[in-house]
Amino acid sequence: MGRYRKYVSLARTSLEITFVYRAGFALNMIGTIFYVVAMFYLWQTIFLGSSSALGGFTWPEMKAYLLVSFLLNSLMTWFAEWNMSMDIKEGRVATDLARPMDFQASRMATAFGPLPFELFSALVVGAIVATVFGGIALPADPAHLVVFLISAALATLIKFGMVYCVSMTAFWTTGIDGVMVGRVAIQNIFSGALIPLVFFPDWLRALAAVLPFQGMISTPALTYLGKMDGPTTALMIGLQAVWATGLLLLGRLAWRGAVRAVTINGG
Amino acid sequence: MAARLALATRLRPAYRLVFLYFRCLGQQMKAILAYEADFVVLMISAVMVQLTGLLFIWTIFQRIPNINGWTFWQVVMMYALIFVTEGVGSLFFEGTWRLSNLVYTGQFDQILVRPVSPIVQVLAGAVGFNGLGNIVTGLFLIGVGIANTPVAWTPGRLLMLVILIASAATIRVAINLGSAASAFWVKAPWSMVPMFVHQLGEFAKYPITIYSVAVQALIVLAIPFAFVSFFPTAFIFGVDAWSIQGLLTPLVAIYCVLMAVWLFRVGLRRYESSGH
Repeated sequence: MGRYRKYVSLARTSLEITFVYRAGFALNMIGTIFYVVAMFYLWQTIFLGSSSALGGFTWPEMKAYLLVSFLLNSLMTWFAEWNMSMDIKEGRVATDLARPMDFQASRMATAFGPLPFELFSALVVGAIVATVFGGIALPADPAHLVVFLISAALATLIKFGMVYCVSMTAFWTTGIDGVMVGRVAIQNIFSGALIPLVFFPDWLRALAAVLPFQGMISTPALTYLGKMDGPTTALMIGLQAVWATGLLLLGRLAWRGAVRAVTINGG
Repeated sequence: MAARLALATRLRPAYRLVFLYFRCLGQQMKAILAYEADFVVLMISAVMVQLTGLLFIWTIFQRIPNINGWTFWQVVMMYALIFVTEGVGSLFFEGTWRLSNLVYTGQFDQILVRPVSPIVQVLAGAVGFNGLGNIVTGLFLIGVGIANTPVAWTPGRLLMLVILIASAATIRVAINLGSAASAFWVKAPWSMVPMFVHQLGEFAKYPITIYSVAVQALIVLAIPFAFVSFFPTAFIFGVDAWSIQGLLTPLVAIYCVLMAVWLFRVGLRRYESSGH
């Protein structure tokens, strides 16, 4: 157990830092709240203007989908990504190399530390939005909730794996803001954060199916709604696990290659 | 002759400001262009954001013919106007985002000792090259949108279009500058106010008729983002119910600039440097 204590203390420190920089955190929340409210209004108009269900979704289901999407998107903010890439860009990783810690594990601890706080704030904001739009239902079946929690945990792992890989590009480019913005744009559309993937035409859906992003929002949201049958759910959650593992391994590989490059450059 | 000379003397300060503004901005551009890869990455990311946004709207319209009576091209036009104006803001006036840091660290002193308007120096303080990507794709979308309008394009109408886009961009920049002036009051390494206000622009991506009256009042009267996208779009497409308000856009732009400059000046009087 002692092996992990250093990571736990890193996570705690990271959470404390978030408390100290409450203003920055609030900024991040504010950044998403208008966007979420606009999305709720947009979809409300679309659903109330349409006589039948759209893409197999009813308006109450869509509300739940949007809320779950917002909650998952609020976890692990861009701070984790920003800090990681700034550490690389400004050379602070040199200190990390000297520490008796695994770099990826230490970054994971730092990224996961603030999760309780992020979840709590997102739930508060989500509850307010949900109330304004006439309430949002919990899963009818408690089993769905359990499966959803598993899927959401995997989604967070995938997100970390992705963010870690993207941060590694800071070894090669200093334009990390652009890389981050680009990732968020692609992620928003292909994860299903903006629109359920069933709304896509076939070719786009096929593309989304082979990308890791759907495991970040779409899969957990669909488990929450209980929209997939048993075997499909199992398959999709298995796929999430595969992507999470794959991305974490890819990140390790990138780190190894990058550190070698840095050593060569540094003489 | 004497009159012309007097006019020239009067114009000279304004000309000088514009000249100095571009000199300051030019230095920032050089600094960024030194990192070629960054420049490319920023451009690509801006285009990516637009493409995915467009894909989102397109997918919705694959399912439904209109949103509350607004067609695909009308919504695309609103989107495009938001992106073009945002692009103008980041390409030419990104410096507003640095104001709170300058004030907090006391680096704003540097600006005050130079014999150039502080506002000009702040505006020219940084360059966001992602703006170029936003402007190019945004203008392209506006062009395609116009090709899909049902109205006849007379020279007068085209002129009005140019004025509307320029006014929309002015409103956006003025809102940014005005909210950035909050730095003089907030005194933190970065002020939340500009981001808060900036994000209100999210509402302007869609027709305002989908919102409750409270939200509408917020983006029409309080922070007039609706004049950046919605009202100009209504005019461009000749939507009778809202076109008249579209013509108010230049006036709103002037009002926003006056407000922003006033806020900046009031704030400036409070500036007391940092305590070192």
